[in-house]
Amino acid sequence: MSQPPDNNDAGMVHGGWALPYLTPAPLPKPDAGNAHGTASYTGSHQTVSGRCRTSGDAAKYHLNTEEPQLMHIDLNSAFASAEQQAWPSLRGRPMGVTNRISKECCVIAASYEAKALGIKVGCRRTEAMALCPDFVMLETDPSKYTFMYQNLMRIMKTYSPNIKMKSIDEGVIDFHGTRLVNSRSLCEIGMEIKQRMKDEVGKFMRVNVGIGPNRFLAKTAAGLHKPDGLDTIDHTNLIDIYKSLELTDLTGIAEAYGARLKAHGIHTPLQFLEAPDDLLRRKVFKSINGLHWHERLRGYEVDDYVTNLGMVGRQWVVKTPSNDDEYLRSCLHFLTETTAMKLRFRNVEARGVCVWLGFAAGGGWKDKQMLHTTIYTNQDIWLQVSRLFDRRPGHMVVRIMGLYLYELTPSTRSQLSMFDDVEKADYLTKAMDEINDFYGSFTVYSADTLTGTRHVKQKIPFGGTEYFELLLKRA
Amino acid sequence: MDPTIEINERVDVVVIFRKHADIGAFCVPYRMRWRGRDIELSELALRHPTTQGKRMLHVFHMSDGVNDYRLEFDAEALIWMLVALLPGTGGDL
Repeated sequence: MSQPPDNNDAGMVHGGWALPYLTPAPLPKPDAGNAHGTASYTGSHQTVSGRCRTSGDAAKYHLNTEEPQLMHIDLNSAFASAEQQAWPSLRGRPMGVTNRISKECCVIAASYEAKALGIKVGCRRTEAMALCPDFVMLETDPSKYTFMYQNLMRIMKTYSPNIKMKSIDEGVIDFHGTRLVNSRSLCEIGMEIKQRMKDEVGKFMRVNVGIGPNRFLAKTAAGLHKPDGLDTIDHTNLIDIYKSLELTDLTGIAEAYGARLKAHGIHTPLQFLEAPDDLLRRKVFKSINGLHWHERLRGYEVDDYVTNLGMVGRQWVVKTPSNDDEYLRSCLHFLTETTAMKLRFRNVEARGVCVWLGFAAGGGWKDKQMLHTTIYTNQDIWLQVSRLFDRRPGHMVVRIMGLYLYELTPSTRSQLSMFDDVEKADYLTKAMDEINDFYGSFTVYSADTLTGTRHVKQKIPFGGTEYFELLLKRA
Repeated sequence: MDPTIEINERVDVVVIFRKHADIGAFCVPYRMRWRGRDIELSELALRHPTTQGKRMLHVFHMSDGVNDYRLEFDAEALIWMLVALLPGTGGDL
C-alpha cells in the first residue's frame, strides 16, 4: 500500500482556512537596514538596496520623503502558473493559456519557460509553435483563476482593510493608518505574503512584491525583479532606479507617450523627472496629466481615485469569419444577453447603444444610437441592437463583433411603473436572472441565442475586477 | 497543442480525511478505479471549489507521479467524475 497523497504543495484553503501541516518556511531576516529604514535581503530575493543618500536628491527633485506605505502585489504569469500548479507534468515546460484554442488564437498568459524562448503575451499560436514545437497551450479555466484571486485578496485583507484589486492577478495594500497596530517592516510582511501564497495556494505560485510611497512606484518596484522579486523604492534610491530604466519601462508610458516625450527632448526617466511641470502640462501632455506625471514620478499619490462606470459591453472574435446573417445574429444576441447581465449586475440602465464590426478584409463598421428612455431588459436591449445590426453592410465577412451600452444611470426599476407591460417585462427578466443564478448559466435563454451559446465562450476579464462575482455565479 | 484529454466518466474514488485543527478534517482522493484499473494518487496539486448555479463542485487536480488527473466531486449528487487527464512522459493509459 502506497503512502497517502503528498499534498505539501496543494492549494488547500477554502473559506479562509489554512492547513496545520503546512509549516511556513522561516522568513529571511532583513538586514539591519539603513538610516531611512530601507531594508535589503540576500538570497533568492533580489532587492535594490536603498542607498543612504543625503537628503540632497530629495530636496533637489522635491521627492516625497514619506516612509513607503503602499505595497503592490503581482502574481507572476498568473494564469500559466495556476495551470502549472494544477498540472504537475507542465511544470518547467514552455506553456501558455488562451481563451479559446483556434488556428490563430493568441497567448494571453505565458509561463516563464515560454517567455525565455521569446513567447510573450499576444503571440499567435503559429508564431509560438514556430519558436517552440513542443509549446503547450491550454484554454482558460476561470474558476481556477478566481480561486487564486480570492485567496490573494483574502491574504491581503489580513494586513490592512484598505486594499484594492487592480485586476485578477494584482492588487495594492495601503498600510496608512495600520502601523500603530502592525509595526513590522513592509519587507517582512512582503516576504510573509509570498510564503503564504505558496503554503495556502500552491508551491508553484510566485509573487512579485513592490513597496513604494505611491501606487506608481510600488508597481514599478514590483516589476524590477521578475519572477518572485521584492523591492522597495523610496526617495533614497529613486534616482538610481530611474537611471536603470527606459522610458517605456514606466507604467503608463507606452510607445505613443514615449514618442511624445522624446519629441520634447525627454529620452530617459531621469530627464522625465527633471522636466518642469509647466512643460509637461502645457506642451507634452497638454492636459492635467502632465502635472499628474510630475507628482507621480516624485512619489506623490495621484492614482488613488475611483473611476465611474462609463459603459458596459462585450466583444467576440468570430470563431469562423462569416457573413451568414443567422449565425452572426445569434452570436450577437448571445453577446447582448451577457452584456445585459452585466448591466443589471451593476444595477444601472443605459440610454446609448453601439454595435461595431471588424471585417476580415480589413476596416470595420460602427453605428450607435441615443435613446429617449433607458433600457434594461434583455428584450429591450436586443431590440435596439438588432435594429442597428440591420444597417450593416451585409455582404462583408465579419471577423470580430461587439457592442456596448453607454450613458449609464442608476436603475430605478424598483419603482412602480404606470405601464403594466413595462412591469411584466421587468419581472420576466428578474425571474430569468434568478433561475440562471440558481441553476447555472444559461439555463433559461432566448431560443435565438442557441447558436451563440455553443460558440461564444466566457472570457477572463482583464483590467477590472468588477464582474468576478458575476463570473463566479455564471461559471 | 493541448495535451489534456477530456474523459468525463464516473469513477470510484477512495478518499482519506486528513485531520485539521481548524476545520476538523478535509478530504483528499487517495485511490481511483477507472476502466477497471486502480490508480494510486500520490500528489494533490491543487484543490479549488467551483459552482454550477448553486451546486457546489470540488475540483481536485491529482497526480499518480506520471499522469495528471482532474477529478470533480459533486457535493450535491455525491458523484466523482474523472473530467480530464494529462498523460505524462512514458505514461501508460
